Parts: sequence; structure tokens; C-alpha cells
Amino acid sequence: MHRLEARGLTLAYESRTVVEELDLTVPDGAVTVIVGPNACGKSTLLRALGRLLRPVRGEVLLDGAELAGTPTRKIAQRIGLLPQSPVAPEGISVGDLVARGRQPHQSWWQQWSAADEQAVTEAMARTSTTELAGRSVDELSGGQRQRAWIAMALAQDTDILLLDEPTTFLDIAHQVEVLDLVRRLNRERGRTVVAVLHDLNQAARYADHLVAMRDGRIVAQGPPAEVVTAELVREVFGLDAVIVPDPVTGTPLVIPGAPWAG
Amino acid sequence: MADTTEPGRRALLRRRILWLTAAVAVLLAAVLLSLTVGSRGVPFGEAVSALLHGGDTANAVVVRELRLPRTVVGLAVGAALGLAGAVMQGVTRNPIAEPGILGVSQGAAAGVVFAISVLGVGSLAGYVWFGFAGAAVAAVLVYALAGTGRGGATPVKLALAGSAMTAFIASLITTVLTTDAATMDRFRFWHVGSLAGRTADVAWQLMPFLLVGTALVFAVARGLDALALGDDTAKGLGARTGTTRAVGALGATVLTGSAVAAAGPIAFVGLAVPHAARALVGTDHRWVLTLSALLGPALLLLADTLGRVLFPPSEVPAGVMTALVGVPVLVALVRRKKVVAA
Amino acid sequence: MSLPLSGHSVARFGPASFLVHRRSVAVAAALLVLLFGAVVASLCLGESSVSPASVLDVLLGRPSPDQLVVGELRLPRVTVGLLVGLALGLAGALIQTVARNPLASPDVIGVSHGASAVVVGLMAFGYVQTARQVPWVAVAGGLAAGLLVYLLAWRRGMHAQRFVLIGIGISIALSSLTSLFLTKGDGLQAQQAKVWMTGSLNGAGFDQSGYLAWVLLASVPAVLWAARAQRSISFDDSTAVGLGLRLNRIRLGTALLGIVLASCATGAAGPVDFVALMAPQIAVRLTRGAQLPLCCSALTGAVVVVLADLLARRLLAPVELPVGVVTALVGAPYLMWLLIRSRRGGS
Repeated sequence: MHRLEARGLTLAYESRTVVEELDLTVPDGAVTVIVGPNACGKSTLLRALGRLLRPVRGEVLLDGAELAGTPTRKIAQRIGLLPQSPVAPEGISVGDLVARGRQPHQSWWQQWSAADEQAVTEAMARTSTTELAGRSVDELSGGQRQRAWIAMALAQDTDILLLDEPTTFLDIAHQVEVLDLVRRLNRERGRTVVAVLHDLNQAARYADHLVAMRDGRIVAQGPPAEVVTAELVREVFGLDAVIVPDPVTGTPLVIPGAPWAG
Repeated sequence: MADTTEPGRRALLRRRILWLTAAVAVLLAAVLLSLTVGSRGVPFGEAVSALLHGGDTANAVVVRELRLPRTVVGLAVGAALGLAGAVMQGVTRNPIAEPGILGVSQGAAAGVVFAISVLGVGSLAGYVWFGFAGAAVAAVLVYALAGTGRGGATPVKLALAGSAMTAFIASLITTVLTTDAATMDRFRFWHVGSLAGRTADVAWQLMPFLLVGTALVFAVARGLDALALGDDTAKGLGARTGTTRAVGALGATVLTGSAVAAAGPIAFVGLAVPHAARALVGTDHRWVLTLSALLGPALLLLADTLGRVLFPPSEVPAGVMTALVGVPVLVALVRRKKVVAA
Repeated sequence: MSLPLSGHSVARFGPASFLVHRRSVAVAAALLVLLFGAVVASLCLGESSVSPASVLDVLLGRPSPDQLVVGELRLPRVTVGLLVGLALGLAGALIQTVARNPLASPDVIGVSHGASAVVVGLMAFGYVQTARQVPWVAVAGGLAAGLLVYLLAWRRGMHAQRFVLIGIGISIALSSLTSLFLTKGDGLQAQQAKVWMTGSLNGAGFDQSGYLAWVLLASVPAVLWAARAQRSISFDDSTAVGLGLRLNRIRLGTALLGIVLASCATGAAGPVDFVALMAPQIAVRLTRGAQLPLCCSALTGAVVVVLADLLARRLLAPVELPVGVVTALVGAPYLMWLLIRSRRGGS
């Protein structure tokens, strides 16, 4: 049995249906990346997996139990999530922010255990935010800030990590850094990661399992090498493209075809 | 998320024009009611002919000499407050900012108290200049205060400095009035916020300021749209955030100052009307401002008219009635719509 | 090993551990000293001055010639002022946290105006006859208005802006109603109602306001809970839910606590303006923490009210001003100075 599953999921904002009758099994211990054009429902799906959005119909199962019926704190001990544009309390320091990730493991009379200390220190070391600890989050650059948020999600110390476009606002070097970090977490710690990414090539590079969505449905899923084809890119993004092997990793690389030449 | 497709835009434009037409109709109805309803009911036809052809009947005199100036002042004050509220909510990016947020209303009150107690000014028309000067001084002080220190005049600092100044001046006024019973009596008449007894002089004094203020706030409408996206994005879009904020605040001060000077502090119009406008026509400031300028006077005139007939022969001041008329509408709108700050 | 949390220390008692923000503790200690000074000064000064030594004698229960003036006249009033300040400072911090708006305060969410409307309405039409009834009526009015606002703002969850906006609307409507009652009510009663409405500690004593002490004492566990809960609700909703917080429950609890405290304070002294708005904003600029500090906000509120009452008694002596008028004279300049000086920008 898989730990995180969606069955017959229909998701809507007010009366606008975004995702309809969707089934998804998240492979354990792997990096799953969801891709698709804007407004295809990929972030909405991720929000539902993280119980931020209640399904209209269908259910999300975590370890076989319906998410909607599980206490949110128990979920928080197993699923960590990083929303698209998180807002920090004004004036909070980086160390304080990362420490807040320990919230689900703490109680009123256990505000700071040795495990908290270790998880926070380690999360900050892994994201190279240790030297930023005393700085205010408001003063950080985009890349530093994103690393601080990821550190907070790591400090939560969950087996499953949901990331909604974790590389937006980052330059190419920081994008690679963040994705490498995600990959390492998965390989070294066996963490299950589900991420929404914009860049199809990055998705193909870092995913074990690629999910392509369009109009609220899953069009194709599987290993990137099988999923990313010229037909799929045309079907999902409406883009003519040539697929070549990535010279470094051998994963599929999408080269948009026939540029406008004027 | 805004629908940017062509049919979506057209539907939005249709809806905006529809609501604009409706607002104009409501305003016309409010004007008519304000001219005809009161302790002496004047038939509609007679009111119109009194305005067009003059005449010396008792009804004609009441309409021309009492109700017309009062209605014109109501139109001006309502429009000024509606516009100023919409701008201040945009400038401070705070949905509960109202035109008095920069200390303008209390500044005006301080000016009026000064005029009464020190200079012995006795007429409503005489208060206007002092009210206006007080409002200006308070607004400049608050802006300077919020602009000093780290980060310049950020929305939160503006709002906090404004409410601190407002509370401070209000305390000073009460302290002075506690020891000066004669001033207190006359001040109370002004302070209650009313259109009663406003003459044509007051309306004329108001007009130039109203025009200048309106021009200023419409000039920054596009800039306010950009500000709503946050300072950084606004700068990225090429908006001069500091200038936009300063000009917007200046326009709102001119408008509020003249409105408060003429009618006393009238709460609620400047707070609620922009929210109603946004709920109807979306967040584009040019539309919000236009609709606020129509709905503000409509609300004020309806409240004023209702206040005249509620407990005859005494009048309930417009400042009291606006909230009672408007709150149910505001609550319904806020519950229906997602609230947007600016 | 040094804590990754700069500025914090950990206190451990067996398996239990508590995080302490060191600067907050220092600020709280300083505020306590200041509060003690303000209380003693308030007990010393008046129509007849009493020496601090004599005041201490009375406080410690030793015989003193000033027992009557200090113990019977001034002490009850100062104590009520202190309790009102504590309650308002706390309520302000709680409500501003839920509303995510530094302008929010009990007057913004309907409590003060609800209390005023009910007291003035009943007083002006002669249903409230004695001063003893006033606190209870005010508490009931404040609670009812606060709850009404909360219910009206609730629509599939609590949205901070909807809460303040509806609160402000209801507040203005209630204050309009109050004006109506005042103009329609019978003259003498209306005059009394007006005096109550400015917020005054004149004549305040234990028999009317002693309940406030019990309410504050009873709310200590709730405040401890809120202090921890509000650490995390200043995140955006998604992040907060991701951390396993039951947002709606925390918001309801925090708002309820704020509404109860503000209503009870209003019952004891009438609507004392501005303290609840100002105290948390001053406190957070002193502690430089990441959230409004509950304990320091309460202490700041108490200092402001006690000092304001002293000023209200002495400023235009023998004429006494209502304390509600003077709170802004004491606090507003300081808040403005902090706004200029503070590192906290506010964006």
C-alpha cells in the first residue's frame, strides 16, 4: 500500500471546478513532479494533497486513512508543505522561522527538546542558512528567503514533503541548488517528495515519477524518459518541440521547435 | 484571478457600465428625495418648477433657499468623502482606513475649536477656513512623522501615526472644552456632523477645493492600481510609489478637509462607500473612484433625508443616519465578496 | 551548543522545556518597575500629598495616619485602573493578532460601542437606575456586540479582513444608535450616560469592579494557551495549516478571550479609548519580537492607564478629567516617537 493516494478527487474553488475525478498514487520514497500549463490544476492538486483544500468529492488517503478525518496536527507530523508564496510574521529572524517548523512536535510544556534543537540545526546546515540565523527574514534576498522557508519545512522532519514551485524567484544557480537539495533528501533520507515545477526540463531531470496534467486531468504519468515525448508536449502544452537526450544526465530535454524567425 | 480573455473583459465592462448607470439613477433619486421630502413635503412638479422658474410660494422658497443649498453641500461632501476614502484605503493599503485616518477630521475639529474659543468666530461659513487649515496641519504632521525613520511612509506607519495623532488631538480638544463651556456648546453643533443649516455660501467655498482634490486623486488612480500590488512590484511597473502616495494623500486631505469643515466629521461614508464600489466594479481605481464619487453623495443624501422625517419635528443628523442606513448594506457586501484592501 | 534561535534561552524542568525570549523578559521587568513607580506616585499625589514612605506603610498593612486617603480613597481607584489597563492591553494584543491589523482594537470590533449603546440606551430610558448595575449591563452589551460581529464575519471560516471590516461597520452603527439614544433620552439620565461614556475611574471601587480581578485571574490559563497559539497564526493560512494548527479554533479562542477581557474592562471603567490599540504596538517595538507580546502589552496597558489617571486627576485640578480623555495624551506621543525611532518598518 502506498502512503499518499488520491481517489476520485474533484476539487473546486467556490463553484469553479478545477480538478475532476482524479486518481493519483504517490510512489513512496521517490521524487514526484507535477507539470502542466498554467491553470491546469497542478497547484490545486498539491493543496488538496496537503489538506489545504477540502475535496468536493473523492478523498485523499494518508496511510490508508482519509485526510479530512485525521487531526491536522497528526498530518503535520507526517506531511510538510511549502506553499507558493508563504508569508512570515513581521520581523521574525531566520532561526526563529526555522524553529517554527517544529510546532507539530511541540506542546505547551515541551517547547524546545533536544530533538527540536537537532532538527533545526541540521535543517539550517543542509540549506546553508546557519550563518543567517540572526538575520530578519524581511531583509533577505529572494534566494536566501526561499532557502530559509525550505529549512523550515525540513525542520518539520516529515517523511513526505510537498513543495509548490519551490524554485520561483530563484536564479538558475539557486534553482539547481534547491533541486539538488531535494534530490539529496530523497536519496539519503528516503523522503517522499511531491513538487510542482514550471520548468519541464528541470522536472524531467529531477523526477523519478512525472505527472503531466492538463485541464484538471492527468494526461500521462511515469518515468520521465517514457512520459516526455514530442506528442505529449504538443498535447499538454500545445507546443511543437524536439526531444533530445540531456547531454549530462541522459534524461529527456525539450527543445522548442521552429522558432519565430521574423 | 482576473479574467483577461476578450469575452471576460467585455463582460466586466458591461457589468461596470451597468452599475455606473444604476449608481447615477440612485443618486438622482436621492437628490429628488432630498429636495422634496422633509417636514414640509413638496410635490415633485412644484419642486422642479421652483428650481427652473423661481416663484414666491412658500414651497418654492423652502426648496430654493433651504433644500437646494443643503442638497448641493450634501452632494459635494458625499463625493469628497467617497473619493477620499477610496484613495486613503489605496494609499495605506488598509481596508479599514477612512478619510480621517491621517488625523484630518480631528485636525479640522481642532481648527474649529480654535476659531470659536480664541477668535470668537460664530458662523458655519466662518468655520470652514479654520477647519480646513487644521486638517492640513494635522495631515502634514502625520505624513512627516510617518515618513521619518526607517522605511519612509509605509502603510502601517502611516496608519499608526494617523491614529495616534487623531487620538492625541481628540484628547486635547476634550481637555480644552472641559474648561470652556461656551465653546463646547457651539462646537457640539458643528461636531455632530450634519447638513442642516448649510447655506449656499458654504457650498461655494467648498467647490474649488473639491475640484482640486478630485483632480489630484484621479491623477494617481493608475499609480494606486500599481501600489495595490505591493511597493516592489509597483516600482517594477515604473510607478513612483512615494509620489503616488504623497499626491494621493494630499488629494484625500484636501477633499476630507473641505468636507469636514463644511459638515463636521461624518463617519462611515468614506469607509464603506469604497468597499461597496469595489464589490460592484472590481479593483480598477478609476472605476472605484468614479463609483465612490456617485455612491458617497447618494448615501449621504438618503441618510440626511431619512433623518429629517424619522422623528419630526426634530432632525437626526446625517452623521448619525449614514451608518444606520449603510451598515446592513456593508455587512451584506462584505459577506458576499472576498475583501480586497485596495 | 548555541541555540539557533538568537535572543532566546531554554528553561528545562525534567521533561518540560520552555522557550524564553530574553529581551521580552527584560522589558517585562522594566515595565513592572515602572508600573510600581506609577502606582506609588499615583497614591502619593492628590489634593493632599502623601510621602512614599507612608504609602508603603499602607500597602504593607502597617498603621499609618494616611490610611483613609491612601487606603480607602486612592488605592481602590488605582487598582481598578491597573486592572483595566492590564485587561485592555491584553485584549488589544489578542484582537490585533486575530485581525492581523495594527489598527484593530476593542472599539474596532464592536465591544466598546456595544457596551456604550446598551448602557446608554438602558440608562437614557431609565431602565438602569443604580451605578451598581452598570458594569453588568456593559459587559453584556460588549459581549453581545463582539459575538455578533464574529458571527456575521464567519463564513466558511474566519477571514481577518472581513472580521475587522464588519466590526468597524457594526461599531459605527452602534455609536450612531448611542447618539440617537442620547438625543431622544430623558435629559438627566442622558447626562449621566454621557459621563460614563468618556471612560472614567472617578468613584471606581472594588465593590463594582472587583470582578475584573477574578476575570483576569481566571483567564491566565487561556492567556498562556493563546501566547503559544498566536506564535504561529501570523503566518499565512497555508503555512499555518501545514504546521498542523487548527486555525479556526485558535482564531475563535483568541478573539473570544479578547472580547471577554475588553468587555469586562469596559464594564469597570467605561470605554477607555486607545489603550488597547496603543499598548501592543508600544510593547512590540520594545521587545522587538516577531509577534505582539501578550504579557508586555498587558503591563504597558496598565502603566498607561495608571499614569493617565494620575494626569487626569492633577492636570486641571481641582477639575477632574475622565481617564479616557487623557490616555491618548500619555501614550500617543510615545507611540509616535517609537514610530520614528523603531527598526520595525511595517510593510
